Amino acid sequence: MIDTKLLDLAVQDLRNVLRDGLVATDIWDRADGLTLAGFNQQPVAVALFTRITSELESSLADSNFPPLARYYLLDMEGSHTVAVINHGSLLQGVLVDNKRANLGILISVAIPRMIEAVAKAKAR
Amino acid sequence: MTHRSVSWTDAESVAQLLARATGPKRAAPGGAVARLAPVMPAAAAVAKPRLASVPPVAVAGGRGAEATAAVPRLQQYSDNPSDRLDLLLAWTLDHQRCTGAFIADDNGLTLAAHGISEAHVSLVGPLLSALLAVRSIPGVDATAGALWLGTNMMSWVEARTHRGGFCLGTVGPEALSTQALEQLKDALETTVRGL
Repeated sequence: MIDTKLLDLAVQDLRNVLRDGLVATDIWDRADGLTLAGFNQQPVAVALFTRITSELESSLADSNFPPLARYYLLDMEGSHTVAVINHGSLLQGVLVDNKRANLGILISVAIPRMIEAVAKAKAR
Repeated sequence: MTHRSVSWTDAESVAQLLARATGPKRAAPGGAVARLAPVMPAAAAVAKPRLASVPPVAVAGGRGAEATAAVPRLQQYSDNPSDRLDLLLAWTLDHQRCTGAFIADDNGLTLAAHGISEAHVSLVGPLLSALLAVRSIPGVDATAGALWLGTNMMSWVEARTHRGGFCLGTVGPEALSTQALEQLKDALETTVRGL
């Protein structure tokens, strides 16, 4: 059982931390692609990153590489960075304008806070 | 090549914080902070800084004892990490002898900076890694220090949390005193405790 109110609060906290550097975020169930919380939600991105993450994980396993841990990053054209956070049964995509936010805040503050908050929501 | 923002902080809000913290000592917004950093989009309102006074401390210098101006202790009242970092940076720029300041994680990724390039901030990553071996020597703390960059001196302090290490540094013509480093460390620990 996942407390979606806590997920909403976590998204609000993410918005406060990244301010206008946060372009969009979705938290979704990787089994059915259902978005549970988000800001400026992107259904196409949910489908895309579910598939990319699944293929990445299977490719890592097939290559005997260590499995995906907390997140992976994509540097996109147009000064955007995508972070896909692995919450276990849930995935989260975070699209950041890297002219307005920076990687230090994203990696050292925003992502750890998000991981803790989603873990609490899943534990309820 | 992308142009990543080195400065997460908003120059206008930092200038407002400086003005509140120092009263008439600092000129209107557009002063030192504006010179140090590009204008960034307006940020959320930050908590009003409250600075606790500490008594002046006499410091014995090479040219005789000299009373230094009291540096107010930084107190954080906001839960928002960005506001806390803004306030720490403003406090550092206002109360320490420096031309620039930065906050970074222990990988050298910038969390906030003014007046220093991202390349220089990234030095923190290998620097702190190298110090791990130094810290294995009994009695050596090595959580603060100074490094000559060629034209400037970078002084830094480090604080650790359950989420990893954070570094507060300054650049200026000279290394900061041990007293100033202790003030920085206290301010950094106060700030990262809530991140």
